[in-house]
Amino acid sequence: MLTFMIALRSLRRRKGRMILIGSLVVLGTVIIVFGTTFSQSAKVFSKASIIENFTGDFILYSQRSRELPSPFAFQTPLPLIEKADQVEAWLAKQPQVASFSSIAQNYGLISLQKDGISYELPFIFYAVQAEAYRAMLGKVKMSSGTWFGEGSAQVQPGILISEYQNQQYKQKYGVTIAAGDKVTLLSLTGGGSVNALPSDVVGIFDPQFYKNVFNYINFMDIGTYAQLFNFTGVTALPENFNQALAASSDDDIFALADDDMLGSLNTDLLEKAELTGYTMIAVRLAQGVSTEAFAQTLAAAGFPIKLARWDEASGFFASVADILQGVILGATLLIFLIVVFILMNTQIINVLERTGEVGTYRAIGADKSFVRSLFLWESVILNVAAASIGMIISLVLIISFSGGISLPEIMSQYLVGGGQLRLQLSIMPFVLGLALVLLVSLLATLYPIRVATKVSPLAAMSAK
Amino acid sequence: MSQAIIECKDLKKEYLLGSTKVEALKGVSFTITEGEFSAIAGPSGSGKSTILNMIGCIDHPSSGDVIIKGTNVGGLNDKELTRYRRHTVSFIFQSFNLIPVLNVYENIELPLLLEKRFTQEERHQKVMRFVEEVGLADRLKNKPGELSGGQRQRVAIARALVTGPLVVLADEPTANLDSDTGIKIIELMKSINKNDGTTFIFSTHDAHIMDQARRVIKIRDGLIIGDEVKQEGRQVAGSREV
Repeated sequence: MLTFMIALRSLRRRKGRMILIGSLVVLGTVIIVFGTTFSQSAKVFSKASIIENFTGDFILYSQRSRELPSPFAFQTPLPLIEKADQVEAWLAKQPQVASFSSIAQNYGLISLQKDGISYELPFIFYAVQAEAYRAMLGKVKMSSGTWFGEGSAQVQPGILISEYQNQQYKQKYGVTIAAGDKVTLLSLTGGGSVNALPSDVVGIFDPQFYKNVFNYINFMDIGTYAQLFNFTGVTALPENFNQALAASSDDDIFALADDDMLGSLNTDLLEKAELTGYTMIAVRLAQGVSTEAFAQTLAAAGFPIKLARWDEASGFFASVADILQGVILGATLLIFLIVVFILMNTQIINVLERTGEVGTYRAIGADKSFVRSLFLWESVILNVAAASIGMIISLVLIISFSGGISLPEIMSQYLVGGGQLRLQLSIMPFVLGLALVLLVSLLATLYPIRVATKVSPLAAMSAK
Repeated sequence: MSQAIIECKDLKKEYLLGSTKVEALKGVSFTITEGEFSAIAGPSGSGKSTILNMIGCIDHPSSGDVIIKGTNVGGLNDKELTRYRRHTVSFIFQSFNLIPVLNVYENIELPLLLEKRFTQEERHQKVMRFVEEVGLADRLKNKPGELSGGQRQRVAIARALVTGPLVVLADEPTANLDSDTGIKIIELMKSINKNDGTTFIFSTHDAHIMDQARRVIKIRDGLIIGDEVKQEGRQVAGSREV
């Protein structure tokens, strides 16, 4: 404790210089602690926001897909999920599943006439089961109209247009769509034909989260979508119809002519199928159920589908908080690198200025470990004291902002999907801050200590 | 007859000053016996401090031997030399060399703390004994910056004595003091030497201070030019001019 006491007093004796170095360490500590808390909180909020607005805990998609699904991307159309109705029925029976919502991503044209002028407006959309999607993911604010007749007994079929999309139409085409407008929807089907379907604009909405994505996405109810893209039908035709279609010779065709039933179709025998055109099913699991555990259950069920976790399905957006954390860590490391050099430089000057004192210690019988311990303590005391101040400042800042930080809109949208970011107090950033400061102390002191231990006792003679 | 405790045999010291080779000592030999109160006298640059540094184990001769209590210290490693400085020899410096952040009591206690073998009570007794001896009992809590030059040198003397060393080396202990204070400091050292039998070797170029020594080894240009032993201020038979 002798060296601790001398170190402490030596620091007090050189207050001015130590306050300067300490201030840098305080700054570095605040950046690492507050910054890490900020990015960690952003990560938590970002995850919650993505799960609650886009993906659920995971997304199911076709086994044939070579790409990961993403509610954010439309570059590569995903293959349709086969037997989607059976998958939905199975999901509905699973106690681990809290909710799910099927989604079809597609694009089409809105054809309408206003003031005697015809417009054909492109739009991309999610086709969704109105109630299920609204309950699980559809956190949008209706500017006009309703969410597919929400609150009424039946789903009101049609389309919903985002406010931003509507503004784009006005800018580019000079037309504005309003709730209640009669339109014709045009689609290019998988078979290559163009379908047209009269429909209604049910409402105009403003997305509340991830506007940078949802401003460009509109909604269509799944019933309208099925009609527009021919996703209705039967699972199989009667056997004689199949034989007729498969007939490859005149004899076969004439043989079929003897069949009394040929040419008449008993619709009761047809098995109706919901050919929905879904490309993704977002699933929320019950509390405490892990995605990994559910994935095994799903695999055992044998559906031709694959599972992508929320972070896999959200790509860039899931990593925004990580990128921010990386930037903060990088900035902190840069500051600490500067601190290491300043601290090292100051410590070397400190040693050189005190060669007489160090020489005196050695001349009166102190060994090298005493000198080493003395300078190490000086560095540790200074840095830990500064780090403690930095942590207190960080704690005050975190508590102050625990109610929420208002971020610039663009930053908020990319980072947490929009809205305020509430900081969550956690021990990890403080431990990280202290560990970094101790590391800095050690690194910055190694060379000065080496210089100090090489001071000869003879230097005592030159002390003034 | 007193026992020889330090033997310096043909000490030479050379060092480079830029590209010039300087011979600080050109072959110095003498013996110090227990209880001596000796001065190494000579003008600045004559080599007197170099001799003290070698006896004090803080510098090595280029050639020759320093033998302290039968041990040739030239063959000791850094740890062993440190131990020698802690137990066997003590220094009083020209610039006092007190630790500025420690008060009078702590400065005197420091060598005992470095030795690590004394209890707090033992340390306290030893410190208080020498504090009384140098007359600073009322200044225990003062830092060096709050003391006069003479008081600081008294603290340094107490610090040098507190571990009970075989020999106390004082490098121009009065150089930074006025004449009266200088004389008082030398008288203090002398009385300790007389009362406790502690061996003192000090360097000086001041004739008045020199007069206080019972033996004066005169040195010039790295060579001993005289070695006289006095009895109560008188030159005695057996002394010689070299």
